[in-house]
Amino acid sequence: MKSLKYILLSLLGILMFSCEAELEEFEPKAGSADFSVFVTLGNSLTAGFADGALYKSAQEVSAASILAGQLEWVGGGTFRQPLMIDDYGLGGRRILGFATNCLGVTELGPIMYPGTFDPGNMASIAAEGPYQNLGVPGAKVSHLLAPGYGSLNPYFGRFATDPATNSILQYAMEQVPTFFTLWIGANDALGYALKGGENPDPTQTEPITDVGEFTTYYTMLVDNLTANGAKGLLVNLGDITSIPFFNTVPYNALALTDQTLVDMLNAAYATLGFTFQLGPNPLIIQDLNHPAGMRQATAKDKILLSIPQDSIRCAGWGSLKPVPHNYVLDELEVNNVRNAINAYNLAIEAAANNNGLAYADMNAALRDAESGLLFDGVNFSTTFVTGGIFSLDGVHLNGKGNAIVANYFIEAINAEYGATIPKVVVNDYPGVLFP
Amino acid sequence: MAISSFAFAGSFQVGLQGQKQTGMGLIGTGFTVGPSSVFFNPGSLVFLEGNLQLSAGISPIFSSVAFRKEAPSVYHAATDNPMGTPFSLYAAGKLNDKLSLGLGVYTPFGSSTVWEDDWAGRYLIQNISLMSVYVQPSLSYKISDKWGFGVGLVYAYGKVELEKAIPVSGQDGTEGQASLEGSTTALGFNAGLSFRPSEKLELGLTYRSTVTMEMEEGDAKFTVPASLEGNFPPENTFNASLPLPGSVNLGASYQITEKFRAGFDFHYVFWSEYDSLNLDFTQNTPALDDSRNPRLLKDNFIIRVGGEYTLSDKLIVRAGAYYDSPAVEDDYYSPETPDAIKIGLTTGLTYRPMEKLDVDLSFLYVLGVERDVTYAPADFGGTYKYNAVIPGIGFSYRF
Repeated sequence: MKSLKYILLSLLGILMFSCEAELEEFEPKAGSADFSVFVTLGNSLTAGFADGALYKSAQEVSAASILAGQLEWVGGGTFRQPLMIDDYGLGGRRILGFATNCLGVTELGPIMYPGTFDPGNMASIAAEGPYQNLGVPGAKVSHLLAPGYGSLNPYFGRFATDPATNSILQYAMEQVPTFFTLWIGANDALGYALKGGENPDPTQTEPITDVGEFTTYYTMLVDNLTANGAKGLLVNLGDITSIPFFNTVPYNALALTDQTLVDMLNAAYATLGFTFQLGPNPLIIQDLNHPAGMRQATAKDKILLSIPQDSIRCAGWGSLKPVPHNYVLDELEVNNVRNAINAYNLAIEAAANNNGLAYADMNAALRDAESGLLFDGVNFSTTFVTGGIFSLDGVHLNGKGNAIVANYFIEAINAEYGATIPKVVVNDYPGVLFP
Repeated sequence: MAISSFAFAGSFQVGLQGQKQTGMGLIGTGFTVGPSSVFFNPGSLVFLEGNLQLSAGISPIFSSVAFRKEAPSVYHAATDNPMGTPFSLYAAGKLNDKLSLGLGVYTPFGSSTVWEDDWAGRYLIQNISLMSVYVQPSLSYKISDKWGFGVGLVYAYGKVELEKAIPVSGQDGTEGQASLEGSTTALGFNAGLSFRPSEKLELGLTYRSTVTMEMEEGDAKFTVPASLEGNFPPENTFNASLPLPGSVNLGASYQITEKFRAGFDFHYVFWSEYDSLNLDFTQNTPALDDSRNPRLLKDNFIIRVGGEYTLSDKLIVRAGAYYDSPAVEDDYYSPETPDAIKIGLTTGLTYRPMEKLDVDLSFLYVLGVERDVTYAPADFGGTYKYNAVIPGIGFSYRF
């Protein structure tokens, strides 16, 4: 029986020792870059702006903040963000909810976030600085260099040490960064697009930044940021005309359900050759290049998400009267935007190559997203709401979108500097929330 | 102890149908040790001694799977699998010199894999429990003193329960979830040939049929934010089909000395029958298509060796080992049924307190070889490692 006891005891020993399967942990490496002082410069996409506002819980999942969290694995230093004081924030935040339209139909869609603006969101938080997330909503490339930009833009003004004299670049350089990311330039073309491109009233047009001017400013920024030998990541620009803001309301959003109205419209527009039928119809849009100052929209026209849709349903927009020009990007305007973005991207890529910096191709990433992305069993696309990447303003990303962006950044940094910064689990970040 | 389910072996096959066999590398096709031949080789039932033999056993499985997401990532996870409890009950007796009858109740397939509800693979699976119980009456015929042939009819009960997350979130961030549950019964058979060319040598060849579980009207419950309930009907049902694969098995054993007998088994398992797991929902919506999940398993094989040594009238000791090849392809590795090259190391003993009674103990350690794999249809990949510790106890009685 001694042998039996011995066997039983040994078995018990093996049992205790080997019950749980274990794997070695992944060990991240910094490669040749020093992440100890990390600053990030950019616009609203860097700030964590989402759903039409800059608000606290969205900032906490900004792409910059997610990246900074991963840099902690490889020696990343403090990363502080100029957080808003609440989730109302500054802007006009939207959530998904039910709203009843002018036809009495209750539908799920973006509605205004309940609550009120707290002026504390505008109060200076400069004393708690310095901050490392220097993404400032609204900023164009030239703004990062502009002294006193804080007195024009409250998003910078609230954390600038001296809003009247600071520039964002100066604020960054005072911290002597060892590593930076720069994602700037989208607003240089987006401002034009958000206003529907060209306008009969030139004062209402926000011009696209000239490519030469863009290149000069961009080069100046990169020269400054790398002057002390800092390494960094330059991020190019996606084709903004592919974002949900320009691709959600269809060109044929005029839904006709009444034959009398169809007949009436056919009669009224007979001389212009516009025809109507029951079901979806192309909107009639303002177009000064046409003799009548209007035409029927085509699939090449992009109707902006900002169009008041009740005006189409109940106020005769697109049928009895043309949709105002500032809610439409026509083919020419779309091309103006795309050409600018492509030219800016050449400058960005050249700056990355010339300075040995990492380069994230978000233009390619956005194209990939258009055809669909898949992470851990979840499909993503650029479709508004259901695509899962964009926030409810149709322009900015939600937490999952930011996590996807952060992973692209990590890939680019790893590739350039031989690092193995760990990627994040995309689905662990907040996305669209349904009631 | 509740009869729960268990995780084991080539995908979700369980090899634990007899304590004596478990002790020696799970061999038994050509190595007759008792009424468990109802499962291992019904052809050899006619060679059992005595008029009636009974046996019963249970093998609690303590299994775990560790996961590390594909690099670069520091994400890792581990299962918290409940103890699995495959069991077996056998009776075999002689009708006359030529015919024997047998009955077995055993659990050849099952798995229970429980990941954390919020783990990174939650949209593929959060937890799944597959369970099967086979009831098999058998008839064995002695063709000659050297040849025995037997067949068994398998009446199988199968049950599946699974939960997975749905990628939609409520205002508080809570994600949707699907809970599916269904059970069914099906028929199959096994057949075996036992050949004893000499007193020392035994050979066996068996075939087990694939048993296809056709699940109908299983319950499918969806918990989603209220505004999406139209897209995910809360009370839905589903049909699904799950094959429990058959196999061809070859085995032999030889009495090397008076006290030492050793043998091997070779199994070829028809896992390629398991092409995909399709959930056909009764109510479909634009957001809820039927769910087609390719599995594309391939046939696998198992090589088992083992032996027993008779120490005394009261004590027999056993040892063995096996090699179980993977059935799951590297690109179609779903975390619901972890699979790997598995190495099994076994030992066991029989203690005989009285002439007619055996107390059988077994112990099996399964080491899954680390695998870098992905489930391509979901783009979910990483490194998995599986292991299991399976003690077992059984009793046999000869009348």
